[in-house]
Amino acid sequence: MNNHYLSRVKIRLFGFLLLMFCISVTSFGQTQSVRGVVTSEGEPVPGALVLIKGTQRGTVTDIDGNYSINAAAGEILVISFVGYSSKEVPVVGGQTVYDVTLDLSTSDLSEVVVVGYGSQIKKELTGAIQSVNGKDLQDMPVSSVAQKLQGRLAGVQINQTTGRPGQGMNVRIRGQLSVSGGSQPLYVVDGFPITGDINAINPDEIDDITVLKDAASTSLYGSRAANGVVLITTKKGKAGATNVNLNVFTGFQEVPEKGRLEMMNAEEFAQFKKEYYEDAKLPVPEAFQNPSQYRDKNNDWYDAVLQNAPISSYNLTLTSNKERVNTAVIAGVFDQKGVVINTDYRRFSMRMNTDYAVSDKVNIGVNVAPNYVVDNTPRSDGDRGTGILFNALHTWPVMPIYDEAGELTYFNRFPANTGNIFAYPNWVRSAQEITNETKVINLLANTYAEWKPIKGLSLKSTFNAEIRNSNYFFFNPSTATAQINVAIPTVAVSIRDENQDFTWLNENIATYDKKINDHSFQLLAGFSNQQFRRDRTRVQADTYADDRLPTIQGALNINRGGTISGVEEWTLTSIFSRATYNYKGKYLFTASVRGDGSSRFGSDNRWGVFPSTSLGWVLSDEEFMKTSSTISFTKLRASYGITGNNNIGNYTQYALVNNTINVAFGNTVTPGAAITSLNNSNLGWETTAQFDIGLDLGLWDDRVSFVYDFYTKNTTNLLYAVQIPQEAGFTNFNDNIGEIKFWGHEFSINAIPVAGAFRWNVNANISFNRNEVISLADGIDRVYGNQHITQVGKPFGQFYGMKKLGNYANAEDLANSPKIPGRSTVGSIKLADINGDGVITYGGDRDDRTIIGNPFPDFVYGIVNNFTYKNWDASITASGSQGNQLYMRHLYSTANLDGVFNMVRKAKDRFRSPENPGEGIFGTTVGGGNVTGVERDWNNSNFVWDASYFTIRNITVGYSFKKLGKSVKSARIYASGQNMWVFTKYWGGSNPEVSMQSDGQGDGGNLSPGVDLSAYPVPRTITIGANINF
Amino acid sequence: MKKYIIAIFAASVFLTSCEDFLTVVPETQLSSATFFKNQKDFEQAVNATYAPLRTIFNDRAWLLGEMHSDNTYYARNVLFGAVDNQEDLADFSVPVSNGTTANTHVLNQWRQDYLIIARANQILDLIDDVTFDEVAKANIKGQALFLRAFAYFELARYFGSVPLHLTPVTVRSEAALPLSPEADVYAQIVSDLVAAIPLLKDKATQEAGRATAGAARTLLANVYINQKKWADAEQVLRPVVTSGQYRLMPTYAAAFSDNASNKNNVESVFEVQYLEGAAGLQGNFIYQFLPRPISAAELQPITGTSNPQPVDGEGNNIPTPDIIAAYEPGDLRKDVSIGYVFLNGAFQVPKTLPYILKFAKKHSQHNNHGTNWPVYRYAEVLLFMAEVLNEQGKTGEAIEFLNQVRTRAGLGATTASGQAGVREAIFKERRVELAFENKRWFDIQRTDRIQEIIVPYGNRIKANPQAYYYPPIAGAVPRNNVFTNLSKFYAYPAAESDLSPYF
Repeated sequence: MNNHYLSRVKIRLFGFLLLMFCISVTSFGQTQSVRGVVTSEGEPVPGALVLIKGTQRGTVTDIDGNYSINAAAGEILVISFVGYSSKEVPVVGGQTVYDVTLDLSTSDLSEVVVVGYGSQIKKELTGAIQSVNGKDLQDMPVSSVAQKLQGRLAGVQINQTTGRPGQGMNVRIRGQLSVSGGSQPLYVVDGFPITGDINAINPDEIDDITVLKDAASTSLYGSRAANGVVLITTKKGKAGATNVNLNVFTGFQEVPEKGRLEMMNAEEFAQFKKEYYEDAKLPVPEAFQNPSQYRDKNNDWYDAVLQNAPISSYNLTLTSNKERVNTAVIAGVFDQKGVVINTDYRRFSMRMNTDYAVSDKVNIGVNVAPNYVVDNTPRSDGDRGTGILFNALHTWPVMPIYDEAGELTYFNRFPANTGNIFAYPNWVRSAQEITNETKVINLLANTYAEWKPIKGLSLKSTFNAEIRNSNYFFFNPSTATAQINVAIPTVAVSIRDENQDFTWLNENIATYDKKINDHSFQLLAGFSNQQFRRDRTRVQADTYADDRLPTIQGALNINRGGTISGVEEWTLTSIFSRATYNYKGKYLFTASVRGDGSSRFGSDNRWGVFPSTSLGWVLSDEEFMKTSSTISFTKLRASYGITGNNNIGNYTQYALVNNTINVAFGNTVTPGAAITSLNNSNLGWETTAQFDIGLDLGLWDDRVSFVYDFYTKNTTNLLYAVQIPQEAGFTNFNDNIGEIKFWGHEFSINAIPVAGAFRWNVNANISFNRNEVISLADGIDRVYGNQHITQVGKPFGQFYGMKKLGNYANAEDLANSPKIPGRSTVGSIKLADINGDGVITYGGDRDDRTIIGNPFPDFVYGIVNNFTYKNWDASITASGSQGNQLYMRHLYSTANLDGVFNMVRKAKDRFRSPENPGEGIFGTTVGGGNVTGVERDWNNSNFVWDASYFTIRNITVGYSFKKLGKSVKSARIYASGQNMWVFTKYWGGSNPEVSMQSDGQGDGGNLSPGVDLSAYPVPRTITIGANINF
Repeated sequence: MKKYIIAIFAASVFLTSCEDFLTVVPETQLSSATFFKNQKDFEQAVNATYAPLRTIFNDRAWLLGEMHSDNTYYARNVLFGAVDNQEDLADFSVPVSNGTTANTHVLNQWRQDYLIIARANQILDLIDDVTFDEVAKANIKGQALFLRAFAYFELARYFGSVPLHLTPVTVRSEAALPLSPEADVYAQIVSDLVAAIPLLKDKATQEAGRATAGAARTLLANVYINQKKWADAEQVLRPVVTSGQYRLMPTYAAAFSDNASNKNNVESVFEVQYLEGAAGLQGNFIYQFLPRPISAAELQPITGTSNPQPVDGEGNNIPTPDIIAAYEPGDLRKDVSIGYVFLNGAFQVPKTLPYILKFAKKHSQHNNHGTNWPVYRYAEVLLFMAEVLNEQGKTGEAIEFLNQVRTRAGLGATTASGQAGVREAIFKERRVELAFENKRWFDIQRTDRIQEIIVPYGNRIKANPQAYYYPPIAGAVPRNNVFTNLSKFYAYPAAESDLSPYF
């Protein structure tokens, strides 16, 4: 190529980017009608896709496997269907009938897989990538896509940490962790890395989900890729056809009795209290002298705030792909009541995807997806005193929910001499009367124009926008409270919190494909700019004259401390490039690099560079492998790359001035201000360098396929607010420190054990993820969470505390064992003297704390079975986790041996005397807080319990009808059950996946994983549904 | 050629706009780049330097300086756990290992003092680089120096040798400093106060509640007294007496701030300022000083609020039988200082218990009051004068100052005589005049009388726990580690020690 030609391309490129697109004219060739039957193993294959290669023209086979399409001689028919190897048939002049037999296969190697900034043929992939078709997920009666993915992806752990509708899905790819940055993957919807909530997207809009796991696949997303990337592609019209599909389901949800935390009933509680006073040799208060009086007066406060709740969903999808226009329109309504009273979650969604082929060389497209989500939940989750569920759990069951007139009580308090320290409001009232509602309007829009000036070259420019307007309203009327010990009537409080987010992204990408003999190249280069801005207004007001008018102006007081306006903003400028090369489709090579400049990075460290490279070798294409009749496909993959995590906060690098440190002089408020954080102009992203090696294997013509990956990655420069001695006047310094090493194995297998009229397809995966902290900051070898330690040489976020040996069995045992001076007695908790100094000490230089448990599993696994027999189909999805533990933190209240709260039923079997030592889990009540406080307030292994589980996520049974009248092409009805059975030994609550989630360093923060504070239970859901094609 | 120019132009537009595009500063918060630019900034900065005093005097000082003496104790509530931190201070059983302690009150006192120091350092480091009104600047510098000295004096008395930060910390490696000898800390305190006195306005011209020249002199006198530099103390203190800006209030009760009135009165030398209401500047120390559990009905007559609520837990800072007995017959201060409340709750057999009355001023909202805390009163200036004169052998003149305080208390002239006799009379007078003002521990400490006073006090508690408010039930006795740590200084806070290579 000469200079003249190159500069012409440059001019065209520049003009293209400037003008976005231009238009030229084209025409189509002469065609004839061809038809045929698609079969496999003697049975017709309905729904198979018949496509003219290299075009958007195509059709789908009917229920008997018939198709018909217009094709010109010389064009090639591509026939494909999930579970079968696709086939190519050239159209010959004169021949009009082409019957096709498809072969069973678990992996269609010619299938096109969505990858970052493009797509690739599955056979030629060199990274660790897994995709799931939206069709496989459609029967599950849940609101969010992450729930549907549970158990399906090797190396991806998805936990539902709370049952709050629309909330709480924790997705972790390859065990990625951070000390203080975010660990959730990057979600890219139709090429647009979104900033909003992935759970707000209607799962019915999704055509395909691809998870990028290794650095070679993700590094084109640069400083946002270290947590892995999830690519979501929304629906398009299937070639040649116009389809209308109605998908509805309805059902109900419940919290099964089995599995709930077993608390004492009223009589048991009264009996406990009676024994408490007797054991302490104190007079028994009148209220507890006769426990049997409560026999028929139990008040199950937890059950009282639960309900059985309906759930339903309606989706109408219209797809059309005719002429040069490809359209998909999806309208959905999702309506879920929650199993905690006064909870509901509703989503009204719409998506319109349109592509228009202006000419052979120019395509333009627009996707617009507005939706509206209303979410109302009482303050169900949270610690004692703030979370209604926790509060209800530990409320005395002798306290009446209803008064004698059958009205809900307002407030319960027993006489002071009963040890009732805290007064309890009626939690049913709290749940019913407190408003806690979020209304969100989301709008996601993508537009693009693509120009193909010469063969193989594509110039594409996109503009994407995301608007999210969330409107939170909280109102606590004077008649209710979600806190213990607040008198009714209380001060009515309202909070309004409005966030307006706007994100835009412009990308300009050139790709060039070229094949010279056996050498195939693809080059990609692009640049992009993205900006996010959030404007926030929060108003907190209190002291309402009238609960019926919770307006701001109705409040007598505006709470200045709770009234905030704020801005969050970031910008990102990037350049990126990728080169892919293969020789005969056998030797594969990819290299990519991205440079990210981010406003979040310190002014002296503004740009990060993220390169990667990967290799693949299709051994089965080599002559020496072709002799095997068993092995149909073998590929070895290896990749290495560097990615970043820029979830470090928007303004972390700056030293901020707090100008609300006010003081009074006399009776005058006087403003004060001080610098409250330190500046770090070198602050940067967290860096992850990852190596991956993988093997793809196909056996018996790919009827069984097997994928294995081993990875090892090192995350360095972790963002951490390094604690500094406060003699400096500051608590910490935001810095990039330390190193964590991760490694793991992932296996997945996909097989068709039985084919024919009865067909069984099974997909199973198992992953082993490990990590070890290699270093932290200089001079710091450990950081603490709430009940956790992250220590050099050990896995991240381990439970940390005293090791429980039992209870002091008798006076002799007490005399001969290390003790806590002044606190240990016969029957009190006996802890291990880890440092061997003869004294039990918590904290300080004679600390006896040690690692007492691990919140991370040994392995996680999933299995999906699909069965079809004639018109019947069924599927069972299950997943599990083995070896993980939970910190049953609610025991600090629900096993408070002072009888301040209601207690777990197991506390009945506590230590009473040397002759009656109980089950060994709970110690003596004698001695009051000085004795019992150790067991309760010192983190110890009595809180740590195995939380391995195996959950039958979903069972679906369906029946398909062939033709129903004139207008209905096909129909299917099904029954589906979600979260059917949980098999676990965990006894602290119904959800072994629970984990308090929060930002920062507290419970559920990054450093404190696996904490059970009695979150919203995950319901069992039973639905029936219908799927009708018109 | 033209097309290259276009391309270069496009590239340069892209690259130059890039740095602008990527610079996003916080819009809704001031940052270091925009602050400390003018007089108003420095005024706000010095105001914030006072802020930690609220926390110190509401939550810590009385635990470390008063309940850690024979003046007050806690009223044990066996139903309530997690009270070790308070009890250990009252019981002289603060756990120590390798010179550090996990006691949270010791830790928080340390941190709040260093917060004052860091804010003062920031001001002193930058103020001379900014030009504004010299009078205003002098007053700001004076206050910053006063507050830094005040914080270091607290640290020196609580800990002895401490890290001496005199410039702002900007990077992580500067955060920890070696311990400076106690003498060096005192030298710095003296030098700060000597510098502050001429910079500060006097009581007549300074905004009420801020540090004054008189306050700086009183503080410096206290520092000299701690070092037994009697002549220096007299020299710096006498102008406070002669200034005519201070005098005793007519009654002892009137010496103390009310909830919203009588603040910073003519007897007040330096007070920590609280403000009732929702501005977040309130105190709640009188609630912490109540025996518990107390019902709303029992509480309301004390606080006078419209929304009394029961208070649980364990009551602290309860006057001991020892302090109650320390008042001479006819001392008007006794009934002003100590009140009694009848409690009907929990395991406490219904019982009348004493509480600190002199700060318990009526206010309107539960747990939220605006009563100021007296740090230095003119009565103490007079007792300081009496002490420094007596120690220099000017006993006759000393007695005159002592008697001024006694007269207001309704007592006759002291009968003490001789230097030693008057020394003891002043010591006793300080105990009752300044009762519950966090002076007692420091007085015992600086006069080297810890063993002499605290050991018998401990024995009295162990011999008769119920006299010291242990409930009359089985097992409610002093813990077996009480009165085992009578050290002069508190151990360094363990949480800080963990982060510092120097201690």
